[in-house]
Amino acid sequence: MSLFRTTGLRAATTARFIAPTPRIAAAFHTSQKRAILPVGPQVIDGTVNDPAPVPAPNPTHGSYHWSFERLVTIGLVPLTIAPFAAGSLHPITDAVLGATLVLHSHIGFQACIVDYIPKRLYPKLLKAARWALNSATVLVLYGLYEFETNDVGITEGVKKLWKA
Amino acid sequence: MSLSRTAFRAASQLSHRQPAAASFLLPRLQTRSAASTTPTTAAEAHSLLVSQRQKRPIAPHLSIYQPQLTWYMSSANRITGVLLSGTVYLFGISYAVAPWLGLHLESATIAAAVAALPVAVKLAIKATFATPFAFHCFNGVRHLIWDTAKELTIKGVYRTGYVVLASSAFAVTYLTFFA
Repeated sequence: MSLFRTTGLRAATTARFIAPTPRIAAAFHTSQKRAILPVGPQVIDGTVNDPAPVPAPNPTHGSYHWSFERLVTIGLVPLTIAPFAAGSLHPITDAVLGATLVLHSHIGFQACIVDYIPKRLYPKLLKAARWALNSATVLVLYGLYEFETNDVGITEGVKKLWKA
Repeated sequence: MSLSRTAFRAASQLSHRQPAAASFLLPRLQTRSAASTTPTTAAEAHSLLVSQRQKRPIAPHLSIYQPQLTWYMSSANRITGVLLSGTVYLFGISYAVAPWLGLHLESATIAAAVAALPVAVKLAIKATFATPFAFHCFNGVRHLIWDTAKELTIKGVYRTGYVVLASSAFAVTYLTFFA
């Protein structure tokens, strides 16, 4: 009996040299932290087995939405070239340029809001940002309307500043 | 045959064939459950999960990626767009609220203020506005070309990318110094 026990002990000592116990990592991950912002609120909705929610079909989303964005962008191309070619724009064309620019900007800002404020984490902030953008756009449209009617208009105004 | 294997086999033989000898060892064994558990409520478990999730690694920062024309120009497209649109919005809102705040944003007033600046400052301001404008215009056309499913290869992306950069450089030079 004692023979087995001493042999077992020596075997255990030998085994320790053969296979050293793996070192436990100091932390979960050891790479450098490069967080831009602190971690947001951790929202746990349902379980892992829930299917992804299917968005309700909406005719203004999807391809129509995409096509509309392209139409606005394509429209901006001649409206941008025209003042360089003609030297200035007719007040109505100038107003169309202003409205198209605001529409294009609004869509662009919307994309930024949706990209950078995830709905799951910050639903209230997202809503606030959307409404802030909507009100800003209305205010800008009013401001540009005032500028078009009481002042010289966008293209003429930019030209004036550029030549100043 | 190593020493440890000998011992192992001997021990297994012992436990199989000599149960009396094995039971001789039993009083010395201590038993202990592998992990201690404490009862928690659902809310406590949830808050534990939340605190654990906040310690998870975050997706890598942009700076770990190799700088490439593809994604640099993509980022620049959004940044220049936000700058240009931000300028339009800033001016539009300022002009809208100017009467209430007593601001003078009439084109004649601003033009007079700009005219009083030194030439170097004027050129710097022109370059500051012309650069995002030219880049976003040309890159926007590049995007419209992509939307027709043309130039959508790595080669096409680089070719059109260089065209956009060259055109932008040319346009900025023209708008800053000659317009």
